[in-house]
This record gives sequence, C-alpha cells and structure tokens, in this order.
Amino acid sequence: MSSALWPEYLVVIGVMVTMLTVIFSQKSGIGAYFVALAALIASGIVSIVEWSSPNLPVFLFDHGVMVDAFSLVVNGLVLLAAAGALLIGWNDRRYGSDFPVLVLLALLGMMVLGLADNFIALFIGIELLSLPLYILAASRGTQVSGEAGLKYLLLGAFSSGILLFGLALLYGASGTMVISHLVPSHLVLPLAAGGLGLTLVGLVFKLGIVPFHMWVPDVYEGSPLPVTSYMAFGTKVGAAAILMRFLFFGFSLSSGWWGPAVGYLAVLTMIVGNLLALAQKDLKRLLAYSGIANAGYLLVGIASHNIQGARALLFYLLAYGLAVLAVFAIMTFVAQDRDSVSVNDLTGLYRRSPWLAGFLAIALLSLAGIPLTGGFVGKVYLLQAAWFANQPGLALGLVVGAMIGLAAYVRPLQRAFSAPDGAVLEPIPWPWAGSIVLIVAVIGTIGLGVYPTPIVHIVNQSAAFYWLH
Amino acid sequence: MIPLNWVVGLAAALFGIGVVGVLVRKNPLIMFMAAEMMWNAAALVFVAFARSFHAMSGQVMAFIIIGTAAAEVGIGLAIIVSVFHHRHRLDIDEVSRLKG
Repeated sequence: MSSALWPEYLVVIGVMVTMLTVIFSQKSGIGAYFVALAALIASGIVSIVEWSSPNLPVFLFDHGVMVDAFSLVVNGLVLLAAAGALLIGWNDRRYGSDFPVLVLLALLGMMVLGLADNFIALFIGIELLSLPLYILAASRGTQVSGEAGLKYLLLGAFSSGILLFGLALLYGASGTMVISHLVPSHLVLPLAAGGLGLTLVGLVFKLGIVPFHMWVPDVYEGSPLPVTSYMAFGTKVGAAAILMRFLFFGFSLSSGWWGPAVGYLAVLTMIVGNLLALAQKDLKRLLAYSGIANAGYLLVGIASHNIQGARALLFYLLAYGLAVLAVFAIMTFVAQDRDSVSVNDLTGLYRRSPWLAGFLAIALLSLAGIPLTGGFVGKVYLLQAAWFANQPGLALGLVVGAMIGLAAYVRPLQRAFSAPDGAVLEPIPWPWAGSIVLIVAVIGTIGLGVYPTPIVHIVNQSAAFYWLH
Repeated sequence: MIPLNWVVGLAAALFGIGVVGVLVRKNPLIMFMAAEMMWNAAALVFVAFARSFHAMSGQVMAFIIIGTAAAEVGIGLAIIVSVFHHRHRLDIDEVSRLKG
C-alpha cells in the first residue's frame, strides 16, 4: 500500500460501506447517501492534503499509475461531479437504492483515468467508468430509460473494442505497455499508425466528438436527470484527462501524427455541436449538444499541444462543470416528478421563481461565454493557447462556435423571461440537497469569472506535468 | 510454431467481422456478441505479441479483458432483458423512442 493512493482507497472503502448500508437498511433508508457523501468529502480532503506533499510525482505498480499534480486536480474535478450528481438525486427512490454505490464506482473509474500510465490502468479506468453508468442510465426502469441504457451499452462496448484493438496494435509496435515509455521513433510504423488511429477513435468516442457523437443526445435524453449531469461533467473529465495523458506522454515528440487530426475534429465538433443545439426543443437534448460542442472546446486545449493548452483545458473543465451542475439542479427543480424538461416548460420561470430564472441565466451565459462568468475566462485561455500554438484556425473555429452557441442558449432564456400565457403558476419548491449544488455552482461560476487567480495558480502547477516526463 | 503474422491476421479478421456485425445486424443480442468478438480479437493480439516478446504483460491484459467482458455481459444481458420486457420484440430499429 502506498500512501499516495489514499484518495482512491477511501472511495473503495466508501463503496463497500455504502453497499453494506444498502443491504442492511430498511427500504426508506437514507444512510447510504450520507455514507457515500462522507466518503466523497474524506477523499477530497486527503487529495487536498496530498497536494502540498513534496514527494510527487509518485510512480506505482511498475509505472501502472502515477500520482502527480495533474491526477490530484482530476480527482478534485470528478469528486465535484460525483457530489453534484449524488446531491441532485438525493434520496430519490425512483433510481433504486443502488444509486449512491454506482455513483461511487463510476467515480473510482474516473479517478483511475487521471492516474493511468499504462494500457492496463487505462482500460480498467474506462470500463470502471462505463459499466456503472450503463446501469445508472437504465436505472429508471421506464421504456425510455431502458432504451438509453441499451444504446449506451452497445456503443460503449463497440468503442471499447476499437480502443482495445488499437492498444493491442500499439503494444505490438512498441513492446511496452507503459504510456510514458512509448518512443515514437522506435515504433514499427504501420502497426503504430493503425494502433494510434484506433485508440484515438476509441477515446474520442467516449468524449463524444462529432463524427462519433450519435449516441450522446439519445443517452442524455433517456437517462435520469442526476445521471445525465454526471455523464455531462464526470465522463468528460475522465475522457479528456486520459486523452491528454495518452497523447502528451506517449506521443509528445511526434505531434505531427495526431495534432492536425485532433485540430480538425475540434473545429468540426465546435461548429456542428452548436448548430445542432439551435434546433432542440428538449432541454436535456440541448444540453447534450452543448456537451458535444464543449468537448470540441476541450479538444482545442489538446490540439494546441503546449502548456497553455493543458492549463486552459483543466480550467475550462471546471468552468463547464459548474455551469452544467447549475443547469441540471434547476432542471430537477422544474421537472419535479417528471423525467424531462422542454424549453416551453420554462415559460414564465421568472414569475414562478425569480431566483431560479436568474441562476439559469448565469449558468447558460457561462456556457455561452459571456464576460464575468467562468466560461468566458476559460474560452479566453483556450484562445490564448491556440494563439501561442500558432494555430489561428482553431481560434477562429472556437469564436464561430461560441457565436452560434450563444443563439442556442438565448432561446431557453427568452422563454424563461417571457410572460406566462396561462393563469398564475405555482411557485417551485427547493429541495435542500439540490439547493446546495445550485448555490455552490452559481457562486463558483461567478467567482471563476471575476477572480480566477487562485484556480489559475492551481491549474498552472498541475499543467506542469507536461514537462515532467 | 505458428508465425506471428498469421495470428495477428486472424485477429484482424475477427475484429473486422465484429465491426461489420455491430454495424449491420439489428438484433441487440447479436450486436452485443459482435462487440465482444472485437474485444476477443484484441485479447488474441495481446497474447500473440506477448509470446513473441517473451513478456508477461500482454497475457495479463488478456486475462483482464476476459474478466471485464464477463462483467459487461452480466450488465448487458440484464439491460437487454429489461428492454425486452417492455416490448416483447428485439429489433434495434424499433428501439427508437429517442431520435436525434
């Protein structure tokens, strides 16, 4: 046992205790939720303590995993995503009593993706993230939820197959399993090119980048609301983290092999994702296409392939995640016992609850990238990274994509601030757990936009991993 | 001893059959089986290269792939059965309440 892995060990212990609590408690038991939340908080505290430890980076299990400032920041992001999903779905019997256990298990997969340094850890992380999410997507038990689970399962298995075959070819071309020991100039060429291509396709599938995005809207729309928020934030963090590790560590010296491809995919994703978001009537589907477009922004950070890109990507993940959590918390308040919210359901929201309407405006404007919000600062850093990388095409794509996105996000806001057509609408109740998520997310979004310095400092330190291999 | 190229060629053929199976077939069970075939093709490549490198890491990976595939089959069959309960037919083209 190594002390560097305590955040992960605490989540493992949390999974076991939560499972036992579910087994031994009565039907209406809320204990499992508290145990899961305690495990999340404990793991977060240990991650923070470890941040100032002098002996990072630590390599464990024969370069199987590495703990460094990057993996700790990924820990923080995915813990935030898991806590958000857990609180948004707090004690909701509709998702079954296993909900907290499965959230913790998927969290463990995301943490492993931040740590992974060889193919085995990479594969285990991807699967540990995906398998609980298949169950969670289908956990509502309705026809739509089952359909979402089935589609996620089939496309997840398909993309994992592509990823595995790519990793196998890379193993054959290099003779090593360790990502940071891949030396591009020593690789057997046709095998290595095929392997890199297939691995990239597999990872990009998980991230939801445009030619491979077909599954995202259906799965997001069919899954229960807290699960969708978890997919939109947590899964993106995990997939972006492993993509960055894999490309920056394994192939940093031969960026000509993948840089242009990733750049074109980024531009295509930003523009197509935002264009398709324009036409959506269901709010979850709109958020799904927004998630696709935001994955494109993340790819800008990877394609620019410099330390500014790594830094901007981590910062943008936080800004995007906070905005997503706020929108999903508001959607659960508005949806109450339904599963989905259409844009028209928001009509007259400012009459029913002025605060909710205001918070929705802040979150959506952050996604669109309006100044004084975290999304704006994140996009500025991404633009700067593309500029330093001497890739004006990326910067141009980002600006055009954000312009189109603004039109898509203004539509639900316009409904929310328009007069209700019917009689007086009843006010909206605020469940306490969801309110915590909403308020923290909104304060965070504004805070990142007004005073980003502390987070920028942390992210800078974390992105230094890029030079240390 | 079978040459390495033959084994990798066989695995590539299996992988290709799996990809075509997922893309062409309409029964979710068959699609799932075809996806598992892609996984097994990858496991075969890992074992073949591990033998030619005289290294253990590829063999370990093959075991992990098999174990994970078993877990995935457990979850997958449960989801497919629950979808079947709702409609009593299995055709992926009819599973289309969600359209984008």
